[in-house]
Amino acid sequence: MTVRSLLGLVALNLFALGVGAGLLWGLRGWRSWWELARLAGLAYMLGVAAIGVALTLVLVVGIPFSFATIVLVGIALAAAGLGVGVRLGRPRPLLGPGPRRIGLAGAALAALVIVYLEALFRAARLSGLYAFDAWSFWVPKAKAIYFFGGLDEQFFSELPNATYPPLVPALEATAFHFMGSPDVVTLHVQFWFLLAGFVAAVVGLLATRVPPVLLWSFALLALVSPRVVGRTLEPQADFTLDYLFGLAALLVALWLLERQPWQLASATLFLGATMLTKREGQLLAACVIAAALAASWRGWRSAWPRLGLASACAVAVALPWRVWYVSHDLTGEFPTSGVTGLLDNLDRARPSLQSVLSSAFDAGLWTVVLPLVIAAIVLAFIAGARTLPVYAALVYGLALAGFTWAIWSFTELEVPIEQDEAINPVVRLTASLVILSVALAPLLLDAAWRGTDRAARTEKA
Amino acid sequence: MERDRRNAASGAFGLDVSSFVVWPLGIARLGVVLCTAVALGYGLVYFVKAVDRLGDTARTNAAQNFDDREFAGGNALVVANRPLYEARALIPEDETYRVVTGPAVQGATELTASFIDHYARYFLMPRRPAPDARWVICYGCDPASLGDGFEILLEDEAGILVGRLAG
Repeated sequence: MTVRSLLGLVALNLFALGVGAGLLWGLRGWRSWWELARLAGLAYMLGVAAIGVALTLVLVVGIPFSFATIVLVGIALAAAGLGVGVRLGRPRPLLGPGPRRIGLAGAALAALVIVYLEALFRAARLSGLYAFDAWSFWVPKAKAIYFFGGLDEQFFSELPNATYPPLVPALEATAFHFMGSPDVVTLHVQFWFLLAGFVAAVVGLLATRVPPVLLWSFALLALVSPRVVGRTLEPQADFTLDYLFGLAALLVALWLLERQPWQLASATLFLGATMLTKREGQLLAACVIAAALAASWRGWRSAWPRLGLASACAVAVALPWRVWYVSHDLTGEFPTSGVTGLLDNLDRARPSLQSVLSSAFDAGLWTVVLPLVIAAIVLAFIAGARTLPVYAALVYGLALAGFTWAIWSFTELEVPIEQDEAINPVVRLTASLVILSVALAPLLLDAAWRGTDRAARTEKA
Repeated sequence: MERDRRNAASGAFGLDVSSFVVWPLGIARLGVVLCTAVALGYGLVYFVKAVDRLGDTARTNAAQNFDDREFAGGNALVVANRPLYEARALIPEDETYRVVTGPAVQGATELTASFIDHYARYFLMPRRPAPDARWVICYGCDPASLGDGFEILLEDEAGILVGRLAG
């Protein structure tokens, strides 16, 4: 809780932005510095995802986790991006034309989001570590990495939820190194950076595609939902997972519409990071891929091999962690009823579905985000769009079905789940769909307005 | 209507209210306007609540002292802060410790006995917990059960002891 810690976090997040900018130049390139400024949020989140994935691999391989390791990994990632950019002949960026004007209403809504983020920062600045899961295992895992320079066998086998992937603990340990101490109070500010980065990434990606009023009104609606306000700063993996999943799903949606290779490549990195953040990340990643396969069935010869390759890369990134915990005899990844043991517990199906739906549509937690998304999907269909509403309907539908399966098959959970939202596992799951809505709802409503899901202005890399 | 569709497809976002009753695009556009209005309405109402709530949280956080902020969630179960602070000061970072619980802690909550070892593991790291550790944090335990040679280095009024076994 010192100025040094805050400056350390600023340095870490600038470092992530630099790494991500290098990667984005390799994956996509940019024609002007204004374009980079618009995509700075995406670059930052790419940097976070890439650093998180790479440091997870560092931990699994057993390379000592130190400040030098973190810096070298970041430099290597940025250099790889720059190398690819040079190899692909990316042009040198110019100053270029200024940003699009967003109009009075858009500017007012953007100002409200900025005011909200400022208020959230003040709440984060001196927040104690209250969240049970955070002090019970997420932060202890991060401290173990920080103090012992790796996946300490004792702590990583004794701490609860031993099979949970270590991407978030690795990022937290990175923050400790940049802060110079395991400052669990200032650590909350890191999660503020992640939220701000996610919002900036979505705004950067959609600013040229959808009207500012649509974009900012849905960003504001999701951000001020009571659950987001109350929980987004907690130093645990739930909302980080949601940001990574949201960006992966958005980039896949854009790829389905525009077929720019960088969109799928970036989505692949986010999908890999999603799978390394929490175990339900695998379920969410599978939903995105399955929805994309179905939404692209008309052009399957071109789309499916690419989606298959993206899936294979994401799985390959997540696999080493699984090898590590299996080789260390850690268990608890799979449901207690077994993957196929649902038929023995048929009586749990209906209350499981009821738990998921009541949580997802709880206005006290999420206001009206999901009802509006359903309306947006229907309106896009009515107006004549097809690819985007099919994709969105399937992502949301499959995810809700997947959450139901999870609750149904983890038989130690009493159903229907009616716990307080602080400890309710279904609420954590459904948050991902609310965060995704920040990105997909404006796209869907724009498609409904224009009567097509073809982009008005396709972005050329 | 067709001109509207062309304009819209090109990215124009003008409001032609008269087209809102035309099926299907006009109805869809009416729906877009309504959805946006609902999002804006809820967003503005909840924005005020959110900023108010976050202001309260920031004020509460700022008013706390260093100990309360550092213990945070642990305040619900540690009973007193001093024993764990003393344990952190006394136990060298490369030594092990164990937490032994018992019924004799005054002011214990229902969470204390179940979770104090979890919290100590988080709070005392890099010190490692071990079942045979020389250093003992006794949360209402019977010191006699620890064996001979238990040297008490801190005794808290709530019945919490920090000490070490000889050898």
